[in-house]
Amino acid sequence: MPLIQIQNVSIAYGKPPRTVLDRIDLEIEEGEFVCLLGQTGCGKSTLLRLVLGSERPGGGRILIDGREHRQPDRTRGYVPQKYSLFPDKTVLDNITFGPEVSEFNLFTRRLPRYFRRRRELREQAFGYLRRIGLRESDAPKYPDQLSGGMQQRVAIAQALMARPRILLMDEAFSALDPGTRKEMQRLIRDLWKATGTTILFVTHNTHEALAMGTRVIVLAKETPDAGSRVMLDFPVPSPCQDHEIPALVDRLEGVSLAISAIS
Amino acid sequence: MASGFLLINARPSRTSALVLSWLLFAGGITAYFYASRARHRDNPDDRVMPTVSQMAQGMVNAALQAPEDEEPVPETAPLATRFFQSMLWKDTRATARRFFYSMLLLIPAVVLGLHMGLFPYIGSFFLRFVLFFDKIVALSLLPILFIAFGIDELAKVMLIVIGVAPTIILDTFNLTRSVPPEQLVKAFTLGAGDFDVAYRVVLKQIMPRVLNSIRLNLKAVMLFLFAGEMIASTDGLAYRIALMRRHMGMDVIIPYVLWVALLLFLVDLGMKLFNKALHPWFREA
Repeated sequence: MPLIQIQNVSIAYGKPPRTVLDRIDLEIEEGEFVCLLGQTGCGKSTLLRLVLGSERPGGGRILIDGREHRQPDRTRGYVPQKYSLFPDKTVLDNITFGPEVSEFNLFTRRLPRYFRRRRELREQAFGYLRRIGLRESDAPKYPDQLSGGMQQRVAIAQALMARPRILLMDEAFSALDPGTRKEMQRLIRDLWKATGTTILFVTHNTHEALAMGTRVIVLAKETPDAGSRVMLDFPVPSPCQDHEIPALVDRLEGVSLAISAIS
Repeated sequence: MASGFLLINARPSRTSALVLSWLLFAGGITAYFYASRARHRDNPDDRVMPTVSQMAQGMVNAALQAPEDEEPVPETAPLATRFFQSMLWKDTRATARRFFYSMLLLIPAVVLGLHMGLFPYIGSFFLRFVLFFDKIVALSLLPILFIAFGIDELAKVMLIVIGVAPTIILDTFNLTRSVPPEQLVKAFTLGAGDFDVAYRVVLKQIMPRVLNSIRLNLKAVMLFLFAGEMIASTDGLAYRIALMRRHMGMDVIIPYVLWVALLLFLVDLGMKLFNKALHPWFREA
């Protein structure tokens, strides 16, 4: 059974209602790295929020491992474009927040076993810190003392530390400079290979989608007033070699142009 | 670019900024002493603008002598004993006690504002009522409070709570709503439950701003406290000021007013330092 089943999902906003997504059908297997591609306003982030459970579809349903989830929970990690870290917590506390909050409530945080577990979690967090290329001296820093790239690295470590089955990333690198962005793409691809987590990555950058994903899904509208539909579901040769990307980009952008011409 | 001291881009030096910040104090004090001396030259028994020595004597008496309605403390008693039996200490203690109770009662206001901002049903239930309550002039409720709760402590504390709590509730509500939704979603995806999100994510983030909001409302707290004490009380700083007004006791009133300002300044400074120590990550806008 596919891990994520998106069945005939539609959603509309505003008065009068404007359809954003129109009868989307998708199945995503465990371990896939899926990039959702499309122009600004085509509903990529909306689809991500629907999978996340922070919004509910107007029609259709979304099943995670065969079950409907009506609220965000631990099965799906989330890395947004901004506000991804808790500003009142240090880098280390941000990374360990997931396991701490799910294992200990406000009262059990006073028990001795909490302090033992906290030491273990900190050790694990230091491991993640090294993997994402940060130094141990960055651990006591607060998010506003880090650069944008460092913050996103910590956000990824934070999400992975909670061991989600699915990682949802919403234009997570779009605020980064090209150099840092390239580095982050490599990092997330390596982490995906190492952990096997299913990733749903929203981007409007064709090159980025092809460099990272094992599958690229293009959302677009058939007419300006219509809701977006899946226009292309495109398996990327895995691993995608750098020299193959330009040709693939041309092909995808050609399809996008064709879609724009039709609409 | 043009330069001049009245321009937006002017950059006063450290010394000139320091001198400027004290200039009004110096001007006010000088004007007072000048006017006071002039009045005392015309009328040596003038009570409207006491001299420095009269005010100093009034303050020493207030700080070392028992209130008129109590047994006097012998002058041979140790200074500490005299101070802790004094009018000033007893009044300060009475006012501080009411102030402390009022501040304690603001904690539920913060909790309510937090829940209203996070839980839609609680928000729908309370918001309209709190908005309406916020528009009621608290002092106009004073007679009702005295009738309902008597003229004891409860009425005075309730006056402060009714006067300030709606503002604190609404401030906390707005601060809660200003936390980016991404943070809430993120916390849920990391395994947090509703109360974890409320107390371990949102409250921690808004706490420094809530404390600042309470700091800004300190003057309102004191205003309502003084109104209550002036109308119906047998002790407290405002009671003493009201009592001295009847005797034209400006030599005590002015030092008392300055004492109240100093206390409020110290409470505000204490809260500011506490806020800074407790929330090292917080950068004020």
